[in-house]
Amino acid sequence: MINPRRKNWRRTCFLAGLCALTFTLSVRSQERFRKSPPIPDPLQELRLPLIESATLSNGLTLAVARKTSSPLMSLQLVVLAGESDSRPDLPGSASLTANMIGRGTNLLSTAEIEERIESIGGEFAASVSLDVTMFTFNVLEENLDKALEIFSTIVLKASFPEGQMDTVKRTMYYELFEREKDPEYVAKRQLFRMLFKGHPYQTSIFNEDVIKNVGREDILSFYDRFYRPNNALLVIAGNMNLSTASRKVSHYFNTWTARRMDRPLLPSPPPNDREQVAFIDLPQAKDAMIVLGNVIFPATNSDYFPFIVLNQVLGGTMGSRLFMNLRESKGYASYAFSGADFFKSCGVFWVRAKVTPEVIRDSVQEVLKEIGSSAIEKTSSFEIEQAKSFLIGNFPLKNEPLTSFSLEVARIKAFNLGEDHWNKYYENIILVNLERVLATAQRFLQPWPAIVIVGNKNLVADYLREFDKVDIYDISGNLRSTINKGVEK
Amino acid sequence: MSVKKSAALLTLAVLFCAPGGVNAQATAPPKGLEFPLTQYKLKNGLQVILSEDESLPLVSVVVAYGVGPIREQPGKSGLAYLMENLMFQGSENISPMQHINYIQRIGGEFNANTAFDKSFFYQTVPSNQLALVLWLESDRMGSLSVTGVNVERTKETLMAEQRQRRSAEPYLESFFLFDEILFPDFVYSHPLLGTEEDLRDITEEDVRSFYRTYYVPNNAVLCITGSLNVPRTKELIAKYFETIPRGNDIPDPPAPKLVEGSPIRDTELKESLAPSPAFHFGYQINHLQTGEYYGLRILDILMFRGKGSRLYKRLVKKERVALYLSGGIEERRELRAFKVFTISNNSVMSDLSRKAIASEMGKLRTTLVPDAELAKAKDLFKMDYLGRLSTSLQRALFLSETFLSGKRLEDLAEEYAKYLKVTPVTIVSLANRLFTPENAFTLNLVTK
Repeated sequence: MINPRRKNWRRTCFLAGLCALTFTLSVRSQERFRKSPPIPDPLQELRLPLIESATLSNGLTLAVARKTSSPLMSLQLVVLAGESDSRPDLPGSASLTANMIGRGTNLLSTAEIEERIESIGGEFAASVSLDVTMFTFNVLEENLDKALEIFSTIVLKASFPEGQMDTVKRTMYYELFEREKDPEYVAKRQLFRMLFKGHPYQTSIFNEDVIKNVGREDILSFYDRFYRPNNALLVIAGNMNLSTASRKVSHYFNTWTARRMDRPLLPSPPPNDREQVAFIDLPQAKDAMIVLGNVIFPATNSDYFPFIVLNQVLGGTMGSRLFMNLRESKGYASYAFSGADFFKSCGVFWVRAKVTPEVIRDSVQEVLKEIGSSAIEKTSSFEIEQAKSFLIGNFPLKNEPLTSFSLEVARIKAFNLGEDHWNKYYENIILVNLERVLATAQRFLQPWPAIVIVGNKNLVADYLREFDKVDIYDISGNLRSTINKGVEK
Repeated sequence: MSVKKSAALLTLAVLFCAPGGVNAQATAPPKGLEFPLTQYKLKNGLQVILSEDESLPLVSVVVAYGVGPIREQPGKSGLAYLMENLMFQGSENISPMQHINYIQRIGGEFNANTAFDKSFFYQTVPSNQLALVLWLESDRMGSLSVTGVNVERTKETLMAEQRQRRSAEPYLESFFLFDEILFPDFVYSHPLLGTEEDLRDITEEDVRSFYRTYYVPNNAVLCITGSLNVPRTKELIAKYFETIPRGNDIPDPPAPKLVEGSPIRDTELKESLAPSPAFHFGYQINHLQTGEYYGLRILDILMFRGKGSRLYKRLVKKERVALYLSGGIEERRELRAFKVFTISNNSVMSDLSRKAIASEMGKLRTTLVPDAELAKAKDLFKMDYLGRLSTSLQRALFLSETFLSGKRLEDLAEEYAKYLKVTPVTIVSLANRLFTPENAFTLNLVTK
């Protein structure tokens, strides 16, 4: 809460260009090799641990990624059901179910469960996305058996005590309420509302008011239907081989009974193809937040690799085009980045930029220009190689921490991404060329993106009138009025 | 001296597990502490620490300097933090921002951090780019660009940050004030951010002098961990760092001047930004006896770590008198403090929080910690400690910090074992000796 020395490099870094004026504190004569950056050594081979899998007798998939040097172990239990599996009239059911895991069994209270987890130095957390629910359990290797015992008990014997429901609902309510103070969260949620309208993924987008509608019977029903071994997988990352892991996991999870699953893959929602600009008033916002984006393909698609290279060129870092244009060149934004989220049925490409209110319209124009075909066509092979260099270099970094590593293995298994996203990752990036990037951009950045602006209406109203039409929504996503040709109705 | 000869003379290669190695008599290291270690010093005084780990093709490079707010003079507070920012503003061969761009372009990550008496600059990059990082780090160690323009611009940014934070972050000022109470000596108590007035008064010459004095090889450690080839790495280090001139010898920082007499133990502060009443509670810990540090660290975990910790369980979960609780043992060289901060709904709850803390501190003095609770604290300690060594960057930071704290890296395994030997009697004796009424201070925050 209090961090007396919070720092943001994006804020404290200045524009380049002062070097001509510098007085350098050097007392030695310059050696020639210091004048330019060294040539890198050849890229070292990436050898990631093999992901070994087995299916246990009750249908539970077990995946083991061995890291022999680690004294810690990270377990991920993935239930292949997420917020989009909540009943359309009961959004939030998946999250409430997940948050009630660890809140009691027939024999153990919440406090006793917490005590047992802490007694072995364990860390337990749950998270829910559109398609899956993940439970993370980190523990010392020496305590793995105890961890599996606790883990299986709290998941398999969850009793969902009524008394804990209110506490969990209250916590969820306040967490969502707090998040709504963040303009970027509000804007992205509205973007997803617009893109997933009419699609089952729409159920995943909810605000705090709906939590109260979910009752104990509803989560029992969700749990009974989806929390099944043949609809789940357990990832173990650490010093363990598959046969030992199979034996241990079978011992603790064998009472979990399977049930027939009939869950067809959802179709992808269609991309947005019409001009739509939405605004949400957030009185405490000082700047204007712009989030725009569109539906793209899921991560299993072969366009994945050229697309992430393209994204890197556009807005992956502070050196990418959006940041360099909107912040460094135009001075409109404190930041501007792009990215993509991938789900089971589709992906969403998005751009986020925090700008000053008076340049909202100009900033949107600049973003559209950057992701438009004429700018993309000017992409050079050099930029593509730079983007590839970033992605190749960053891949081992982001998978180094044990929890990130096990989460990535869980993601690969849950979304059937296979070796393409693991040991063949380098190869897949290296094979991307300018032609593939341009073709991908042509296919997926052409449709008109949905645009969301969040800010203090008193500060931005005049500038919103610069758009032909802006739909004004409340924070819950209800359309309240429309500004049409500068007139609000 | 040739590179080869210098390395041969100055290298102390320590491999924890090597049979018959220099450390063969030391305690067998637990898993997670079994990494190889090579240490040596360049002739300009730069300490080098290398630790290989081939699991992923990446390396982390930390350059840590023995400097921080402890080296600031009255009237010049904020200088170390200013320097941290200036270190990214270019050097003889690298333009402003370029250090960051070079690292980001190759998918690397970077940051910097200034602690009370140490400053860390670090990056993790693909292993084939090690030379690039050494080029960047050696350039700013040897030839930082300090100009009136970049000093003034950086000062302006930091002053704006300071104004923004001081005017918007509730309770922030109270943290600074409580540090002044617990560490009653300017050198040990003033905040890293400094004051706006002091920052404004810092001159270009102050910056140059500070840089020339403290950002020198003989006040630094270079630690590289990850997928590295030791002979090749030594060659690169020699190439980029060996010709950087040694700085003047640096005297030890002044010993703390502790206020004698009876200071005010209970202070009240009206906080205009505070939405709810809160208070700080703490003990000064000025003299630790040999070996007591280990018990103190375990005690810290017992009281503060996680939702099962004593204070969280009592104040937040059981009695629900505090909305928020934080705290721990803070170290500033030989001075330490035990600090608790709580926020409550109203003054009645705030008062109850204070009583609950007093009661928990009393229990520590009068009752032995149950074995199961101590075992739990030790498991949490192991998770934290081994977790700090589990990525190449965390390991490099840990090794640099340990070295700059004056500890021998060869003794890590032995030291680790000492934490695990803490007993209930260690804790109760420690609590009785340190947590006395004459060492206790409070700062009560009331809403305006």
